[in-house]
Amino acid sequence: MPTSRSTRIVLYVYGVLVIAFLYIPLVSVGFASVSKARYLTFPIKRYSTKWYGEALGSSTVSELLTTSMTVAVLVTVISVVVAFFGALAFARYHWRFRTTFQKLILLPIFFPQTVLGLALLMWFNSLGIIPTWKTAVVAHLVWIAPIATLIVAIRAYSFDPALEEAARDMGAGTFTILREITLPLLMPGLVSAGLFAFLLSWGNFPLSLFTTGADSTLPEWLYAKMVSGYSPLVPTLGVMSVVGSFVLIIAAFAVARLLRANKETSAVQD
Amino acid sequence: MNRLDGRLGFLSALPLVLVLLLSFLAPMAVVALFSVMPQKVFSIANMPDFSAYSLFFSQGYYKSLLWSLGMALTATIILLLICWPLAYAMAKVFGRFGLVLTVAVVMSLFVSENIRLFGWVLTLMKGGLIEGHLRAWTGLSFESPLYDVPIIIFGLVYVYLPFMLFPLAQGIAMVPDDTRQAAYDLGASRSQVLWQIEVPLAAPGIVVGSLLTFVLAAGALAESKILGGQAVIAIADDIETAFTFGQNWPLGSALSMILIVIIGGLALFGVSKVDLDAIMGRKR
Amino acid sequence: MGSPGLLRLRGVVKRFGSFTAVRDIDLDIVEGEFFTIVGPSGSGKSTLIRLLVGMDEVTEGEIWLRDKRIDKTPANLRPTCMVFQSLALFPHMTVGQNIEFPLKLRKEPQDKRRARAEELLDLLRLPRSYYDKRISQCSGGERQRVALARALAFDPEILFFDEPLSALDYRLRKTLEKELKDLHARTGKTFVYITHSLEEAMVMSDRIAIMKEGRFEQIAVADEIYSAPVSRFVAEFMGEVNLFPLSAGADGRIASDALSVRPGMRLSQLTPGSGGLLMVRPEYVRLAGDADGFDFSLKGIVHGEYALGSRIQYEIETVNGMVTVEKLREDRLTATEGQTLVLGFNAENTHFIGEAA
Repeated sequence: MPTSRSTRIVLYVYGVLVIAFLYIPLVSVGFASVSKARYLTFPIKRYSTKWYGEALGSSTVSELLTTSMTVAVLVTVISVVVAFFGALAFARYHWRFRTTFQKLILLPIFFPQTVLGLALLMWFNSLGIIPTWKTAVVAHLVWIAPIATLIVAIRAYSFDPALEEAARDMGAGTFTILREITLPLLMPGLVSAGLFAFLLSWGNFPLSLFTTGADSTLPEWLYAKMVSGYSPLVPTLGVMSVVGSFVLIIAAFAVARLLRANKETSAVQD
Repeated sequence: MNRLDGRLGFLSALPLVLVLLLSFLAPMAVVALFSVMPQKVFSIANMPDFSAYSLFFSQGYYKSLLWSLGMALTATIILLLICWPLAYAMAKVFGRFGLVLTVAVVMSLFVSENIRLFGWVLTLMKGGLIEGHLRAWTGLSFESPLYDVPIIIFGLVYVYLPFMLFPLAQGIAMVPDDTRQAAYDLGASRSQVLWQIEVPLAAPGIVVGSLLTFVLAAGALAESKILGGQAVIAIADDIETAFTFGQNWPLGSALSMILIVIIGGLALFGVSKVDLDAIMGRKR
Repeated sequence: MGSPGLLRLRGVVKRFGSFTAVRDIDLDIVEGEFFTIVGPSGSGKSTLIRLLVGMDEVTEGEIWLRDKRIDKTPANLRPTCMVFQSLALFPHMTVGQNIEFPLKLRKEPQDKRRARAEELLDLLRLPRSYYDKRISQCSGGERQRVALARALAFDPEILFFDEPLSALDYRLRKTLEKELKDLHARTGKTFVYITHSLEEAMVMSDRIAIMKEGRFEQIAVADEIYSAPVSRFVAEFMGEVNLFPLSAGADGRIASDALSVRPGMRLSQLTPGSGGLLMVRPEYVRLAGDADGFDFSLKGIVHGEYALGSRIQYEIETVNGMVTVEKLREDRLTATEGQTLVLGFNAENTHFIGEAA
């Protein structure tokens, strides 16, 4: 029984409403960021970009951004490397403890991040390590490395193991196969895993909360201001963070498109 | 299973296992050890006792746990109902729009949940986006729904929607169209198809989605803090307080352990019920 | 084929846990032949070819290539190459890059690689302009040829084929079967092919091995497998067949519950006191009004008629169960369903399968 026309329309409308539901709060934050008043009320009477100017000039803000960026970049690099091999163990190779390994990877994703963060705090304490942004990198990895692995694993599932066997049959060793066959074929998965890793780390707050010590990431600072003492910079920095993420995603899509187009033309000319 | 595969599998699992050993399993062991330490110590070199666990009952922490679990359960049920038609449409009805929806939902995930919840505060507060405009245009006003239990559940539903939607859509996509058509062909009604064909065949997606949302919602902190004020205390909030203001690590650890056992048990149960190879890729 | 075995298997066994996939196989493959292993799924043929290529290790036994024992040599160090069922063409490389891949691994200089690739494109009758095409731009048949070119590139001693045609449609398959046979003749290479399709095997092969439950039932030239199978399994695997139980008394006289036997009729393979199955293919069974002039005959009632294109098949109910008979279209029967007929055939068109088989 095909879905009737009216049902389809209802479903489309429903889909649009859900998207609206997801983005309404961001609209509010967006408006709030350009309100001139120190204490915000809607409707906004006077618009101004002065909070943006203040944010850009503030040394606290640039410190927050530097910390968040450093953490996110490190988390991304480590996650992608770990996920490349992890995904092969997850999806490609048949080995003895594969199902146990698959379950181990899923567990941290299911755990409340606040608890993970606190557990890490105690662990660092018992090792005598004073938390800084470096420990936050470790904390982010608990949650982000498994997710990156799952993303690459989806890609690894979809490729034919005969490709590697064929390469071996023609004389390639394990390392050559990884470099010439596996890596290029998993590349799209690695790129999206990297993107996810960066963005999830950039936006993460519960794992950072207890593990950054004296350092602070952007989401942490925002949370602190939200629960105790409002700052008009909160919506401004929120918007900047969101815009930053979206610009990155769009840039990544554009680069991917460009590369694909390039490859196709070069394949024809060459 | 050939020997080369066995070796390569083991070697390539190693980096991730090491990361998880150092950042997940070891810390969990430390939590377990701390939870049996006497009150207010900051080292595990003490005689174990179980005083922290007795506080769970004597000081009413169990109420927070029940609140957290109850709100998580409610949010999970609401999400199942909200997401089912949408997941169905994503898997079977929407073509390109399904992709648009997926991208939109995934992008929202990249925005820190603080910012999104704070956005709801700005939207719903007195003088916020909705009430402020309503009063300005019509003169009508309403009390802010913030700082109460329903708004916390609303926040949970909002934040964890993607975690229900995607597994559910994946589960429904696993129901072959043929079986549905065959059932109609054999004379089944719409609801019979739903309950006897779609729900059982999409069960892995339903299980994963429900577990994920329940477990994450049960351990959630930001929703009750940002949207709920202090209307009710979530267990994660108690845990945080025990560690920070309370400076009582053994108490925080004991509360964490109780939450971990419940969540870990559910997660392990769910994960053992589903075949990951079948959900994520082809069956080999 | 007097030359010694190029590839020799001695007592090859492969076990997976408690399951034995390949049981004690001995085999000699002659240089330059087209050897096909046929078997139903689960017969162990895929396992066997993976052992031959080096993608799995033998549990017991030895594999020799010329005068070198290779069963412990990994796939990448064996001078053989396989064409996979999925073809396993690298989607991120062009046609040329695919063909040159094994040469690149052997550090051949670029101009030599290019020359070899073009030579192979010519050999497989692909235009040289395909060198820069992407795999996704090639049709099913073209991909097949690219896979063959790639497998031939480093001039392997033996080419193995793991059912590469099974995913193609009927017409393309037929064309490629003939091309493959032609390629075998032009290159003079040794081809070892596995398939579940006997038809495919018959068209292409010099010799065929029939595999069942990890063992070879029979190894012979195609015609012999069809006309003189050694067992009921081979006979039935090779298409439609009629089998009649027979036995011989102490005096050598043939006795059968189903068949009327011409008086004085003897079968050389049927020794006195033994028994077995008499096989006759459907195209050798004649339909007549009476039993005159036939070595063997029986009565039957026409049950059904099926058009097979150039031939017509009849199912005829007898005391021996259904007997299948085939006629050319032009010899179509006038008999209708329910009519009683005599079925007859002669000894020279039969084959006897002894009791033990």
